[in-house]
Amino acid sequence: MSKSIIEIQDLHKQFGNVEVLKGIDLVVKESEKVVILGPSGSGKSTLLRCINYLEYPTQGSVKINGNAFEDKNRKNQEKHIALLRTEVGMVFQKFNLFHHLTALGNVMAALVTIKGLSKVEAKQIAEFNLEKVGLLEKAKNYPSQLSGGQQQRVAIARALAMDPKVMLFDESTSALDPELVGEVLRVIRGLAEDGMTMVLVTHEMKFAKDVADRIVFMDNGVIVEDSPPEVFFNNPSTERAKQFIMQEDY
Amino acid sequence: MTIHFGRAFSELAPSLFDALKTVTLLAILAFALALMIGMLIAVGRISGNKILDRFLIVLLEIIRGTPLLVQLLYVYYVVPELISFVVSFFVPDFHMNFGAFEAGVIGLGINYGCYMSEIFRSSILAIDKGQNEAALALGYTKHQALRKIIFPQSIRISLPALGNYLVMLLKDTSLCAFITLGEIILTTQSYAAQTFLTIESYTIAALVYLVACIPLGYLVRVLERRVTKYV
Ligand SMILES: Nc1ncnc2c1ncn2[C@@H]1O[C@H](COP(=O)(O)OP(=O)(O)OP(=O)(O)O)[C@@H](O)[C@H]1O
Ligand SMILES: [Mg+2]
Repeated sequence: MSKSIIEIQDLHKQFGNVEVLKGIDLVVKESEKVVILGPSGSGKSTLLRCINYLEYPTQGSVKINGNAFEDKNRKNQEKHIALLRTEVGMVFQKFNLFHHLTALGNVMAALVTIKGLSKVEAKQIAEFNLEKVGLLEKAKNYPSQLSGGQQQRVAIARALAMDPKVMLFDESTSALDPELVGEVLRVIRGLAEDGMTMVLVTHEMKFAKDVADRIVFMDNGVIVEDSPPEVFFNNPSTERAKQFIMQEDY
Repeated sequence: MTIHFGRAFSELAPSLFDALKTVTLLAILAFALALMIGMLIAVGRISGNKILDRFLIVLLEIIRGTPLLVQLLYVYYVVPELISFVVSFFVPDFHMNFGAFEAGVIGLGINYGCYMSEIFRSSILAIDKGQNEAALALGYTKHQALRKIIFPQSIRISLPALGNYLVMLLKDTSLCAFITLGEIILTTQSYAAQTFLTIESYTIAALVYLVACIPLGYLVRVLERRVTKYV
């Protein structure tokens, strides 16, 4: 039995009076690929953002590699959360590369500031990861000099360089022109083949089907189905999932 | 009436350009102080502490609601008196004074710091929230994200406006003539009074400022183009 990288227990999240997540339980094992599907507003992004505590849950617990984000007895809560976040790589829809740094600078920054590596060591690791996403020759370019697809690949390299236990992708290709989607999906697929543990929110149904070990289907703040892709796409057990698959007509 | 521009220039200009050194130093020190004060106020106001924010707003209203000249007079004449008054309760016969230069640096620094804080604040708020989130997701603390990711970008955004403030500050040092720091203005006045070369004297004084401000403005624009290239 492989170990659990993410353990979510009874997770609730409320914005004001609106409960967006209504009790989520989810375990992701080492090197598992979990794709989260669901209609707009069902809480997919919120769930992903709770996994690295960009949103603090209203109730429930999130553990990464056995470490809980929150612990009443702990003194320096912010520092601990920051530390635990280094184990969770996140790739955003809008890339969010640091505008004032080159591609290389983007990948190096946290290695130096957070991991305390020397510039030389950081550069080595950064170059290795840029190579991995096929962008070593763009190392000196600023984000504004890169295409959307290239920016997203740098963002992936930046997250990978921290050597995370798990990678989260929130619609990482939906801000891209259609002809640039492929190059980013190829990189993500490569990671999957390397055995990276991943949780992905995506609208690319074919990709989801190919890459996922499990499909988690959310609706209205709860997990409605959690099954292998063959089962989910061919034989969904709920009416809601059936409708969703028909609408997406992949 | 004849214009004796050549004579006035040879007699007055050297001492004015000499005085310009003091004025430039005054402007640079006041600007450095203003940068610090402006940054602190901006950070204080976005910190989310309501009481601190209120307090700073009141401070800003006071500074914006009174003339710079009055503030300079206040720092030079009143503040030392007030400090002396308070401290004399503990230390008998205590008395302090500011030199005109120190008072000028403090007065101009506070005034410009308050105006510049608004530039810092809006430029920090102008940075996309995604930048902060990306930093947090990589393991930065809020403080580290602000210092390493947000500030460097917001400084670039605020640079053009800051440059303009530096030029304005250099010109506003002339108000320090009212607190006896009159290298340029007072020298000009007394020369004009002695020689009756009014037109020449004040024209030369204006030229001295112009000669200082035009290259400075140019420098600021060059710098601005360089650092904003990729933002
Ligand atoms: N910061 C916030 N404040 C208030 N409401 C929020 C906030 N973030 C999200 N919500 C609300 O929570 C609900 C779930 O949002 P979420 O972004 O998680 O949905 P989603 O499943 O990712 O949708 P989409 O497919 O459109 O990205 C939505 O109704 C949204 O309006
Ligand atoms: Mg979303």
